[in-house]
Amino acid sequence: MRKLSVISLLVTSLVALPVAAHHGWSSYDNDKPLTLTGNVVEASYTYPHGTIKLDTGGKTWLAVLAPPSRMSARGLSSEDLKAGVQATVEGYPNRDDPSEMRAERITIGGKTTELR
Amino acid sequence: MSPGSQLLNTLEHGGIAQAMRDSMWLYPAVETVHIVGFIILVGSVIMFDLRVLGLSRRVPVSMLARHLLPWGASALILIVPAGLLMFSSDAGNLVGNRAFVLKMLLLMLAGTNAAAFHMGVFRTVSKWDQGMVAPLAARLHAGVSLLLWLGIVTCGRMIAYA
Repeated sequence: MRKLSVISLLVTSLVALPVAAHHGWSSYDNDKPLTLTGNVVEASYTYPHGTIKLDTGGKTWLAVLAPPSRMSARGLSSEDLKAGVQATVEGYPNRDDPSEMRAERITIGGKTTELR
Repeated sequence: MSPGSQLLNTLEHGGIAQAMRDSMWLYPAVETVHIVGFIILVGSVIMFDLRVLGLSRRVPVSMLARHLLPWGASALILIVPAGLLMFSSDAGNLVGNRAFVLKMLLLMLAGTNAAAFHMGVFRTVSKWDQGMVAPLAARLHAGVSLLLWLGIVTCGRMIAYA
């Protein structure tokens, strides 16, 4: 029994360590919510997640979206997500890359799609 | 461009990597194959490690090894190709992903640990096969293996969030 508790303690600490170190989505700054509107200049509807390049007038952002299966299930098709359309993304900036953000939701043509 | 990043670039722009990104079902299907494979492998490893650590001492270690290890090794046929396919779809990003890099490092350590166990203390298994405490060296290998594999699974899951 004592052996079992030692094992479970070790296991718990090992699992907890990397979780604490990464703290889910740690590369994005949750303290700085961001809303960007602009023209989609490039769109990819691909795994592991779709992305758009958004020209917000002066600055081009890379917005990381969701896996295509999720976007499709929520009604955002590859036809909606294409270069030339206007889009608004709400999300969080990348801590290391000042031109990248992770979008929580995207609005195209008056329709908002949740991405998480 | 260095030879390394050139290789990643070639891999990432190959037809298979492209298909992994573009197909609606291929990526999730390959991901599922990877998971089914590592359930078999990691499940076998953990059950074996727990036995060496002292649980279910009535079961002979050598018999459990003969039963579980072929399953674990065969599961690599599912795990490795599926893993390589997922890697190819996002190679350039993954080599800079801390969870991915740590996972690969832990995998090498786990492989080395298992090899050392089999070439070392496991040779004397007939002396501690059933009903007794395994030698300290064997228990250390098993404990380290258990922690490494839990770390590998955790890092694998964290790749998506790192």
